[in-house]
Amino acid sequence: MADRTARVTWQGSLLEGRGTIESVGSGAFGPLEVTWSSRAEEPEGRTSPEELIAAAHAACFSMALSHGLAQAGTPAERLETSATVTFVPGTGITRVALRVRGSVPGLDPAAFAQAAEAAKAGCPVSKALAAVPEITLDAALA
Amino acid sequence: MPRIVREADIVWEGTTARGSGVVTAFSSGAFALPITIASRVGEPEGKTSPEELLAAAHAACFVTSLGSELARGGTPPERLRVRCTITMDEVEGVGHRIVSSAISARGVVPGCDPAAFAQAAEAADAGCPFSALIRASAAVTVEATLDTEGGGGADG
Repeated sequence: MADRTARVTWQGSLLEGRGTIESVGSGAFGPLEVTWSSRAEEPEGRTSPEELIAAAHAACFSMALSHGLAQAGTPAERLETSATVTFVPGTGITRVALRVRGSVPGLDPAAFAQAAEAAKAGCPVSKALAAVPEITLDAALA
Repeated sequence: MPRIVREADIVWEGTTARGSGVVTAFSSGAFALPITIASRVGEPEGKTSPEELLAAAHAACFVTSLGSELARGGTPPERLRVRCTITMDEVEGVGHRIVSSAISARGVVPGCDPAAFAQAAEAADAGCPFSALIRASAAVTVEATLDTEGGGGADG
């Protein structure tokens, strides 16, 4: 079992106030500032819940794909993944678009696409985000 | 409503067991962080993980919902502190699953009593899009405590 914790503070109103992701259990990042305007408009160097979800999903998917390819006897040399999260205020997260390019010696494009689909279906973050209306995948060998 | 789009990237090299990745906040440039599987399922050893990033996302999303609820109730907060813990467990026959997200909220809120604060936290949970998302597949719990004005309190 793995527990991971983050601490956030907020001061002032939603529109004019500001928040800080003060620290995370691992110590890997923080403090990171978050504001409503940088969430809903231009980021201006500040992260947001949606960007953190994109980071979580891209990382989880990549680990699952790397694992699946290794299990099948064709380990990846390198995987480059991006996740793009679309958020509509008042509605929620409506879409996550995953895109992966892989360098995998000895693997054909169809097998790579299949492994990527399996990673998308099976990774814990995909399962946690199962209620997102649309999760798309664009997978190709580099 | 305008659509908000945020992107993050990861480059992974090598096998899952011995390889490693760097996850980058592409939209904002706010972070670039190393990730390994060992630090994800075992001791973090200074490295973040998908679950920690989700914990940060949920805490940041919840805190803005709570702030809005309190402001709507006529008692805007002076200061709010939210802690979120995401738990991933190995579920028999399913593999690793995110099983829970536990939120603990504390606030310095002039003019707000503990019952109203608890009610605002409940409403914030109902209104936070990330709570709704996670609740579809895992347990989401919320605990709310009002701090006395100016008091620090420990948030564990």
